[in-house]
Amino acid sequence: MRRWPGALIIALLLAAPWGLPAFLLTSLTEVLILGLFAMSLDLLVGYTGLHSFGHAASYGLGAYAASLVMLQWAVPLPAAVLAGAAFSAVVAVPVGWLCTRATGVSFAMLTLAFAQLAYALAYKWQSLTGGSDGLAGVPRTAGPFGIEWFASRPGFYYLVLLALLASYAFCRAFVRSPLGTTLQAIRENERKALALGYDARACKIVAFTVAFFFGGLAGALYAPFAGFASPDLLFWLLSGQVLVMVIVGGAGTLIGPMLGAAVFLLLEHYLSALTDSWALLLGLIFIVFVIGLPEGLWGLVRRRQGPPALLRLSPPVPAPEREHGLP
Amino acid sequence: MSLTALLVTQGLNALSLAALLFLISAGLTLIFGIMRIINFAHGALYMLGAYLGFSLTLWSGSYWAGLAAAPVAVGGIGWLLEFLALRPLYRRDAGAFLLVTFGLALVLTESVRLGWGPDPQRLAIPPQLAATVSILDEPFPVYRLFLAGTGVVVAVSLWQFLERTRLGLLIRATAQNAEMVEAVGVNVRWIRSGVFGLGCALAALGGVMAAPLVTAYLGMGLNVIIEAFVIVIIGGMGSFVGSAVGSLVVAGVQTFGNFYLPELALAIIYLAMIAVLVLRPYGLFGHEE
Amino acid sequence: MISRTMDRRRFLRAGLAGTAAVLAPGALSQARAQGTNPIRIGVPTAITGTWAALGDQVVRTCKLVAEEVKEKGGILGRPVEFLFEDTQGNPANCVRKAQEMVERHGVNLFTGIMASSEALAVTAKLAEWNAFFISSINGAGELTAEKFVPNFFRANTSGPMGARTIALYLKDAPQKTFFAIGLDYAWGHSSVAVFEKEIQRAGKEFVGKVFAPTGTKDYATYIARIRQVNPDGLYVALTGDDGTAFYQQAAQYRLGEKIQMFTELVDMLNLRPGGDATTGLIGSSRYTFTLDTPANRTFVQRFQKAYGQPPDTFDGEQYQALQILFRAMDKARTAETAPLVKAMEGLEATTVKGTVVMRECDHQGAQQGIVVRAVKRQGFAHPIPEVIRTYPADLVTPPCRKSSYS
Repeated sequence: MRRWPGALIIALLLAAPWGLPAFLLTSLTEVLILGLFAMSLDLLVGYTGLHSFGHAASYGLGAYAASLVMLQWAVPLPAAVLAGAAFSAVVAVPVGWLCTRATGVSFAMLTLAFAQLAYALAYKWQSLTGGSDGLAGVPRTAGPFGIEWFASRPGFYYLVLLALLASYAFCRAFVRSPLGTTLQAIRENERKALALGYDARACKIVAFTVAFFFGGLAGALYAPFAGFASPDLLFWLLSGQVLVMVIVGGAGTLIGPMLGAAVFLLLEHYLSALTDSWALLLGLIFIVFVIGLPEGLWGLVRRRQGPPALLRLSPPVPAPEREHGLP
Repeated sequence: MSLTALLVTQGLNALSLAALLFLISAGLTLIFGIMRIINFAHGALYMLGAYLGFSLTLWSGSYWAGLAAAPVAVGGIGWLLEFLALRPLYRRDAGAFLLVTFGLALVLTESVRLGWGPDPQRLAIPPQLAATVSILDEPFPVYRLFLAGTGVVVAVSLWQFLERTRLGLLIRATAQNAEMVEAVGVNVRWIRSGVFGLGCALAALGGVMAAPLVTAYLGMGLNVIIEAFVIVIIGGMGSFVGSAVGSLVVAGVQTFGNFYLPELALAIIYLAMIAVLVLRPYGLFGHEE
Repeated sequence: MISRTMDRRRFLRAGLAGTAAVLAPGALSQARAQGTNPIRIGVPTAITGTWAALGDQVVRTCKLVAEEVKEKGGILGRPVEFLFEDTQGNPANCVRKAQEMVERHGVNLFTGIMASSEALAVTAKLAEWNAFFISSINGAGELTAEKFVPNFFRANTSGPMGARTIALYLKDAPQKTFFAIGLDYAWGHSSVAVFEKEIQRAGKEFVGKVFAPTGTKDYATYIARIRQVNPDGLYVALTGDDGTAFYQQAAQYRLGEKIQMFTELVDMLNLRPGGDATTGLIGSSRYTFTLDTPANRTFVQRFQKAYGQPPDTFDGEQYQALQILFRAMDKARTAETAPLVKAMEGLEATTVKGTVVMRECDHQGAQQGIVVRAVKRQGFAHPIPEVIRTYPADLVTPPCRKSSYS
């Protein structure tokens, strides 16, 4: 009974190329890519309690790596995409090892620092990365066996959809695995987890690497989707935006961040077509949203019983601020 | 240029840059210390300070009036923002604040574009400070000395305020343990609003003082916010002294780094931050949360 | 005054009408039969963000041109519509917006794209989209050289052309040694590289260069470096807010008293907020409102009437690009991509900047090089660029598909 909305959504996604006009399918493809990116960050933010402020690094590294293997060695698209994800994951091991020395805001800023170093490297290594211009004309290289089908608009869409569904299945299994539950225990109380004999640091590094793999996968899909990789894909602004997507959607739910990514992208795109002052509207929407919907979008979808928090009179968290005495 | 002259002028350059960075990061660290939130709108408030400083100077005909009034105005705006947007969120997690201040940054930046247009606005150095002095035969702008001096004066007075006054004590106490402060009958809400307003006013002061160097322009808040984060982290989250030392470190690294290793300009402050955090994970003056 | 919001709404209405047309195929074919379906020009440019001041020039000039075309009764008897979208100067947004224009609004013509990373991302897609892009801003030499694509044309003066022009001017200048400061960005690097070669060719000494990241706020340390090297002349390849900040701070350190500053790009955007800091600055100019051509006098007058100020660099460049585009449409008798490319190749047009020939070999607009000096004039609160020298097109335009001069 509870499974069928999910099946319906998957069926609709599978049928999308037949029903959607060209640009909507293009948009949907980008939404799925960004959704995958946001979901990968949720592994850190939602399940491990690590607020990474440098997750654009995974995306950009995946994008550059996939672009380069296709441009330089004409590696077939699916292999290039996997190579991008793998490259991102390999970089994540030492970076994660260093960043997880710290916790809280220090962790966030260390991830930011490494992402900005990757940005600087991409910006300055002109001969390899194209410098500030980036790599343009990233192809969707055919093969293996000369298969060209996924280079077309619907074909590429299916490739992205397949990547997303497989990633989601993996991530869901991952967070429910013993390792995943350990991560959540660390999130709730790291000291206790340590006392129980878990190697918290090692678990965090694994989570960091897995998150980078899927972030890299998203980036590796983005480059052939948009046809370029540029330093902007590594810039802190994107790290901030993907964090916003996760929070908007609801951290610790996997699905929520995907919704968050869709809402963020579509709101920005369509608001900016409507008015030059789209940033004003987007900002106001965020503010009202946070105050009104503490559990994120997915929380709203799941909690269908009862009116949404926005309409409730009492605050959702029933802990009124104490006021003893006068100032 | 002799080596001595070079080192002295570069030292002064670093000091004036540090003063500017301090004004921005001190507010950020004060706000973090007392509210445990990272204010993403801080760069936008710095920019707003520059634009308001420009307009108030134009309107009053006096740079000094603009310099005094813009921080007051932005402090008031900050106080109001705390009251409207942040106060409902104190029982929520860090993500909520991130989202709201991110939203505020978008709103403020676009409001500035709507209010002043896309072109940069020039705020001239006041005639009293427009001269140069000769330091070891090198011309050095008086305005930079004024900038450095203001930084020192603001840093020392804020430090004395926090250390010596009853209100300062309450602010420090709230940063340590808000519930205890409430328990002794102090309304922590007003302390939070006040500190948030003060932090915004400091950012605006930084904006007005930066405007004669860079003009008031739309992108000015974007770059500065990350630098300010780096300073706060190097100094130690919530540590006032740390933000002062962090500003000196970052300004020094930028001034001398960009001179000797200009190719590393994009990376140098991050390398400095990583070096500090590897040695001291909670920053130079920070403690484990 | 032409208001942006009004145009936006008009535009939106056009968009809705378009949707209605899709839903009612009869209406669309009727419009086609009458030949009145509009020519749509996509302008994905930076309306907000760091480049907003430049994007504003693009948008306001396109609006002025839209009015002009309307008065003339359209092009090829068809109305012309501009689609403005905000990219914030980010290639990801630019590709998304451009793709929407192609796939949803049937756009095949682009102009006014801002950052060179955006331009490159779009040029790589042109073949797939069967679209045409005429640059009015992008200065990076490679666009008409290493990264040439058939559907891309550059109507504006490129970075290398500007650098070459000022280097030609400096041949007879009293300064012997030169240092360069450039924006750490494709255009800055390309400009400084050409200047370095050309100034050496002119028999001068090039004593060093430094690149500052975009968004640098403190130039004191770079100024100290320049002082230490102490060249006779300084070449500045900074633009926008970075340029303004540099000129302000250079003046505060009285850098100009010992060292004459030259630049690739004299922009009123820098002269206006720079105040006296930029008086006496010499540089090449891609366009200045003081250019004395008949077409320019009319344009400046019209612009002044609409916006209450003279047009700036990219106003003029955008206007020229559109003039050339419309000439090509007249020649091709259509706005479709392939015939337009053909008509554009070798096209000679007289524009606000004089005669421009769109070269067949690399699609660069060959045009004269202009050297200006920032001077104070009555009626202006800030220095204005005054033309002091021009060089013929064949001297300043690089060899075909090259971003340097052999």
